[in-house]
Amino acid sequence: MRNALKIAKWEIKRNLKNKSFLIGLFITPIMIFGFMLLGSIFGGDDEDTGTNVYIHDEIGVFDTVKETVASSGVDWKVKQTDISEKEALKKLQDKEDTAYLFLNKDTLNQGTVNVLTSEEINAYFTDQLQLLQGPIQQLQAKELGLSDTQLAAISKGVAFQETQAKDEAGSDLTAEDMLQKIVPIIFAGIILLSIVFSGMYIFQSASQEKKDKIAEIILSSVTPGELMQGKIIGYFVLGIVQAVVFLIFAVPFAMWKWDIPVASYVLVPETALLVAIAILGYLLFASMFVGIGATMADMGSAGQFQGMVMMLPFLPFIFIGPVLSDPSGLIAQIGTYIPFTSPGVLLLRLAVLDTWPWMQIVISIVILIVSIWIMMKLAGKIFKVGILMYGKNATPKEMWKWIRA
Amino acid sequence: MGTVLSVKNLEKSFKTKQVLKGITFEVRSGEIMAILGPNGAGKSTTIRNIMGIMYPDNGSVHFEGHTDLPRNIIGYLPEERGLYKNVKVMDMLLYLAELKDYPAKKARERAMAYLEKFDLKGKEHVKLEELSKGMNQKVQFIASILHEPELLILDEPFSGLDPVSQDLFKEEIRDLANQGTAILLSSHQMNLVEEMCDRLFMIQAGQKVIDGPLDEVKAKYSNFKCTIRGKNQLADLEGIAGVQHVQQQDDVNILYLGKDIDPVQWLKTLPDHMAIQELRLDRISLHEIFVAVATNKNLITKGVEVYA
Repeated sequence: MRNALKIAKWEIKRNLKNKSFLIGLFITPIMIFGFMLLGSIFGGDDEDTGTNVYIHDEIGVFDTVKETVASSGVDWKVKQTDISEKEALKKLQDKEDTAYLFLNKDTLNQGTVNVLTSEEINAYFTDQLQLLQGPIQQLQAKELGLSDTQLAAISKGVAFQETQAKDEAGSDLTAEDMLQKIVPIIFAGIILLSIVFSGMYIFQSASQEKKDKIAEIILSSVTPGELMQGKIIGYFVLGIVQAVVFLIFAVPFAMWKWDIPVASYVLVPETALLVAIAILGYLLFASMFVGIGATMADMGSAGQFQGMVMMLPFLPFIFIGPVLSDPSGLIAQIGTYIPFTSPGVLLLRLAVLDTWPWMQIVISIVILIVSIWIMMKLAGKIFKVGILMYGKNATPKEMWKWIRA
Repeated sequence: MGTVLSVKNLEKSFKTKQVLKGITFEVRSGEIMAILGPNGAGKSTTIRNIMGIMYPDNGSVHFEGHTDLPRNIIGYLPEERGLYKNVKVMDMLLYLAELKDYPAKKARERAMAYLEKFDLKGKEHVKLEELSKGMNQKVQFIASILHEPELLILDEPFSGLDPVSQDLFKEEIRDLANQGTAILLSSHQMNLVEEMCDRLFMIQAGQKVIDGPLDEVKAKYSNFKCTIRGKNQLADLEGIAGVQHVQQQDDVNILYLGKDIDPVQWLKTLPDHMAIQELRLDRISLHEIFVAVATNKNLITKGVEVYA
């Protein structure tokens, strides 16, 4: 164990001195939050420049229209005007995102509205216009002499009231409750992602050992098991470093942008379980990567088998859709019990589900721990032989032979 | 001189091929023991079995005073060797010393002294990828001796070295032996080994061919041989007294003689009519014994029945 720690220390020191690691460490969060910031800057601009809608009102519906627009949340700036269509056309020549509506007798009698727009106009403008149908039809009905009760009955339309059986319990969840649940899970998710990515560095580090032909020199001082453990521990710490750097950017950003009191949400007992799930996920992938990495002389010539193994951490992404649409469904449960997907799927489900399925959590953690134990044994066997094989990548058949040996 | 390492009856097979067929030898402190043999004879396999990198099918490896492999007192320079490329020389050396539990301060001092000795002064903060292949080999060698090992195992230490570096390595290895380090080295460069080893162990196809102290081996196997350039009849040459065996190639004939002949007397027995443009009388070198073993040629008819 002491030797494993020495190796872990070395791997940490070596990477922290490595320029490309340091750049990756800071560039990733800077890029992510940079783009989010840029997005919000441009998004803010859009709010300022809503569609200018001038209404030439001859039938006295302006106030109703204004109310309808305001309550619908459509991004219109409604103003009253009394210029003629000819003048309007002239004015529109050098305007953007502007429209003139002419509400007059024709509107009431024939149900037509003349709409003049600038050459460039919001793509949804035509759809948004349908909003005005309500107030205008109401006016038409009034002109036809319907009583207020009749009017109310017609304008009410038909409403479909849907009730989903299982949503009832959660229906009284406020937005704040949601956040309280999701923030710790995002926190654990960041940790899982960071350490899974650093797990991929393990892969490189194990094959580096072969490429630089130093394996035999190192193994004259430590056992293959210690070397493997050292790498797993070392890259775990590096993953945590990556997560911490990421959070240093993420926490202030979230507090400033969305005004979320992250600290008080994260410091709950549930976080410990979530982080534990993330760490188990890391251990599974790290032991797999360290074993496979030892079978490869260089990354460039990775065989199909090795390539497929590299993709395994991304398997949970396949489950995102089904899990979100039915977090207690069959597919979600299957994902929970497959060791490669269980950390990701479990975190996702716990984020969506209102009550945690404790039984399933326990079973899946047990499955995870057992698979980690098996994976470490297998990786140990593959690592021991693979690390000393020079010049070529091992085939799955060879690896199987080493495992059985 | 105490025995540091004893290897008994080592056997190892890869698939169906047996590569070690009962290897037995000892390494003692203060002496240089050389394992010699052609490529594929089983030298590196023997060493890897000693180092616990492979496990023998049969036989035992015993380190005096230890039940397990005492990694920290062994210095090892493998045949397939290298160092991390994107790391500075001093960092690399200190890390390897740390893995051997050698105190960092002492390791740094010794590293500086050795770098200077090996003409690498001022390179301690240079990355290994920026050094030449020869310089890299020097750093590897320093790494293997930095922690003052009691047993130093060198697998083909001279391969790829220029003559100047070879001499430097040879001197250093000799010094270490004189200070009491037990040294086991493997090589196929006989001339180098002949100059420095105390004992040798020659293997061919996983089996012992010759072993013993260098002087004894030399005395036992170093028959005289006479090389003559000139057109001569094979029958004439074979008729000369003391000739055991003649090897003829174009105009050059090599006459293999016994080891007890008196050179002056023997020269006088040469017939008058012989055509001699050049004549050389010397002893068979280890190199020739080695080549003979490697190519399974029957150079010496008497004396080396061991592998006949």
